Amino acid sequence: MSDGAKVRVLVIDDSALMRKLIPRILARDPDIEVVGTAMDGSFGLKKIEELRPHVITLDLEMPRMDGMETLRHITRNYRLPVVVVSAHSVNGASATFKALQLGAFDFVPKPSDASQAKMEGVAEALVEKVKIAARYGAKGTVPLREAAKVKKPLNRPNSAPTKVIAIGISTGGPNALQHLLSELPGDFNGALVIVQHMPEGFTEMFARRLHECCAIDVREARSGDVLVAGRALICPGNRHMRVRRMPLGDVVVLSDDSKVNGHRPSVDVLFQSVAKEFGSRSIGLLMTGMGEDGAEGLGTIKKSGGLTLAQDEHSCVVFGMPKAGIDRGYVMRVVPLDALPSVLVRSCSAPSRTNAKAGVNA
Amino acid sequence: MSFFSEEQQFEMRELFFETASELLQALNEQGLRLEQNPQDAELVREVRRTVHTLKGDSAACGFEELSSLAHQLEDVLTPEIAASSKGKLVEAVLTAADIFAALITRYREGTQPPTAATLRAVVTVRERIRELVANPEPRHIVPYKLTGRFAWTEYEQIAIERELSKGQVVYNIALAIDPNCPMKAAAVQLVKNALGQFGNVLAAFPEASSLSEQIDVLEFALASSAPVESIEGKCRIPSIISNVLVERASLNRNQETGQGIEASSSDETDVFGVSEQDSDTAPEENAASAASTSLTNAKLRVDAERIDDVLNLVGELVIAKSMLMQATGEFEKRFVKDPLRTKFSDAMAFQARVLNDLQKSVMKIRMVPVEQLFRRFPRLVRDVAKTCGKDVVLQVSGQETDLDKSILDALSEPLSHLLRNAVDHGIETPEERIAAGKPAQGTIKLNAFHQGNQIVIECSDDGGGIDRFRLVTKAVERGVLSHEEAERLSDTDALDLIFHPGLSTAEQITEISGRGMGMDIVKSVIERLKGSVSIDSRAGSGTSFLLKVPLTLAIIKALMFRVSDRLYAVPLASVLEIARASSADVHRVDQHEVMQLRDQVLTLVRMNQLVKRGPVPVSKKIFIVVVGIGDRRFGLIVDRLVGEEELVIKALDNEIAATELVSGASILGDGSVVLILNLSAVVARLGRAPLAMEAVTA
Repeated sequence: MSDGAKVRVLVIDDSALMRKLIPRILARDPDIEVVGTAMDGSFGLKKIEELRPHVITLDLEMPRMDGMETLRHITRNYRLPVVVVSAHSVNGASATFKALQLGAFDFVPKPSDASQAKMEGVAEALVEKVKIAARYGAKGTVPLREAAKVKKPLNRPNSAPTKVIAIGISTGGPNALQHLLSELPGDFNGALVIVQHMPEGFTEMFARRLHECCAIDVREARSGDVLVAGRALICPGNRHMRVRRMPLGDVVVLSDDSKVNGHRPSVDVLFQSVAKEFGSRSIGLLMTGMGEDGAEGLGTIKKSGGLTLAQDEHSCVVFGMPKAGIDRGYVMRVVPLDALPSVLVRSCSAPSRTNAKAGVNA
Repeated sequence: MSFFSEEQQFEMRELFFETASELLQALNEQGLRLEQNPQDAELVREVRRTVHTLKGDSAACGFEELSSLAHQLEDVLTPEIAASSKGKLVEAVLTAADIFAALITRYREGTQPPTAATLRAVVTVRERIRELVANPEPRHIVPYKLTGRFAWTEYEQIAIERELSKGQVVYNIALAIDPNCPMKAAAVQLVKNALGQFGNVLAAFPEASSLSEQIDVLEFALASSAPVESIEGKCRIPSIISNVLVERASLNRNQETGQGIEASSSDETDVFGVSEQDSDTAPEENAASAASTSLTNAKLRVDAERIDDVLNLVGELVIAKSMLMQATGEFEKRFVKDPLRTKFSDAMAFQARVLNDLQKSVMKIRMVPVEQLFRRFPRLVRDVAKTCGKDVVLQVSGQETDLDKSILDALSEPLSHLLRNAVDHGIETPEERIAAGKPAQGTIKLNAFHQGNQIVIECSDDGGGIDRFRLVTKAVERGVLSHEEAERLSDTDALDLIFHPGLSTAEQITEISGRGMGMDIVKSVIERLKGSVSIDSRAGSGTSFLLKVPLTLAIIKALMFRVSDRLYAVPLASVLEIARASSADVHRVDQHEVMQLRDQVLTLVRMNQLVKRGPVPVSKKIFIVVVGIGDRRFGLIVDRLVGEEELVIKALDNEIAATELVSGASILGDGSVVLILNLSAVVARLGRAPLAMEAVTA
């Protein structure tokens, strides 16, 4: 957004301590300047007028004008990117996803441990997200329409999926995923395994919210969960997810291996195992997000005969991961977000010949 | 090595302590309000916000015990639990607030972890919180009986169901590892081998990959046609497996557990649905109030020391002003015709006015509403009342009255003591009250208001009042009074005995009050503040204490007078009037000198006793400064009146003012020093002494 110039940040938090701590963390990066702090939403809005920040960090639980209301004002009237600083709790996670729906750009967990390692991680994420928000901000601030609760088809048969769709997604992901998954029909034939870069403690609530507004089943993956048609498994934060074919069905396996590409969960880890286990029955999809995680894995899927897709630039909040795949020549089709559901439905619809072949090979 | 420098960490912790104490105060208040309106959902959210902030802040500072307790508390703070907990939630909130305070004190004292006692308290509260959310039938709290969870993964369940549908018997087996078993990983392998002899192991928990030394129960699903007894027998490996549970798995059982999971997760989504609604409606409600309050001024936090520095400088300026005044006065006398004269006096007047404003503004900075002190008391009264089994309501008024911060702080102890006394001794039990024809609920009123240069704090109860007779009897018993003195004692004097060290009317010494000390401390604290305390009590209808303290300790308006050529001052606020008399009007009654002033008899105090020079020739005409101390009046006999002036009080080192008779000193414009008298001490010391003095000088 402003090359050369510093990113101007306004910190809105009702805790005096956080108003000290967050600027201090951000001040460690030379490209960021905290131009002010505000103790609640109404002050925050006044300071936006006054200080013209590029990015806002926002606490959601505040007295008087609370975070949600403040967020509505900011996205509606100023269209500034907001990075939500959210608490580790059921309520906190729930509020966070609501904030994302309202147009918050992204979120980071609240600094919650004075220990060196934890603080480093939190600080890194905060600095990174603020910078990304400054660069791509305006795009991420479009509120998503409130998703209606959906009736699930009763007695879904636990049938094996025609295809296994692996999705790698990061910044801008929660809204894009909601958009995609809620458009998939209840009798969808494919199984989805999804790595969304997200801190620990948020994925369960994320999956639960998606489950409510989607006709397909969505849940946070546990080791041993089976891949069935019409089900999406979301990898829990801070773990890796792989797939494994077993005599009685195909399962996901979670592990605590070390970070890959600086990420846990890593998209590459998932993609590579999907390519290995399902070959031509696999579909790899890279969606909005910063970085290059998943690009190499997508290449592996392509090599093993699977279909590789990328979300198009226009519909991405951050066109990073899809671009990395495209630049390497691993992407077979670039698809806008709106068209993704129908593309997936078509790819999974009939048991194809290649599928039958793969079954024989296995 | 740490993420932040030591200095930054220190600063952050200081900030935490400061904000945390505010949060705790808010939590206490919110808790009390919640006790009154347990159905108020907005109030519950308020409490939750406070706990939430406390949690976040303490976590960021690494105060783990505090943050995890706050976290746990936050999770039960829902309107539903508040409404259904029958006050238990409030109890948990208030107890937690106490423990938070204790933890914070610990953290503040040093980096060492909290004491065992504090941690025990934490555990107790946690249990209490857990009770709030616990199911009516707590299933997992059966430590001595081995139970299996058998929460197999989806894949394992499929495998089990397949075997069952083929007609194969499947056992769910739980094995307790002997706590003394040295190598748990080896134990797992041994058990697996043993089970392998009987059939097919379909499922295992924990998985081999996530095996840790903390595990104490192993679970397996085994497809086998062997009888239960032989499986059990094989699994009981001495000193490795201490207990074995073998159940037959059935299709039903597995379905049941499946449904159980479904049901509980749909419960959770219900809770979740409600909380979502909450956050939906809250913004709308808040929007209006936010708009109306958005103009509130931001606050600035300043060290009290810095303000004191400014105040000191203003004090010096006041002295400089009077120096200048004197100089101009002399100048005017010397150069009566000089036109510069009016210019001087104009400038002086201007400067004096600005200085006056400046002084007032600085004083105002130090002033804080008495509410800061009063807000602690509802909790105190509630707790004491609960301990004593009494029903008491505290009515607070005049919270907006401003008072110097240092005085406010000093008042905290005495007022707490008065309130405790009022609940413990003043208010009767509900039964006694009903028998006396009073409402069962007692009322304690706390009020504050300005009166001239003083602030008056009134603390009154509608309890049983003080038993004068018993007080006097006890005083005589303990040798505080002689029988003769006791008989002559006026009602006021009798009540004043309550301030005597070693006297307390409580029949039983309780934990709360009645140790026979306290009231005298109340009095001495108030007097150290150059204030006074008076008491009024009527048997059967209650007691009321009146504390009067100056608005500030830094500058007083004083009346100055000379005694034996020395300059003294008394606070103008205590001066009722000034009278002239001749020595013939002075009479002697008992050990006191008295005089008739209009229709009242006034006890006199000869101030020249302050100067130990023996008797000075008594002039015919004497000046009498009539002062009020509490409810009582005294006449001070002084040599000459000097006038009134604003004095900037300078603290005296202990060496200089080794006497309690002097409470401070000040410097006048001409450089002369004036001693400010501590009236109550002076009267106590000199009011009774004349005979003894005569004995010495005669």
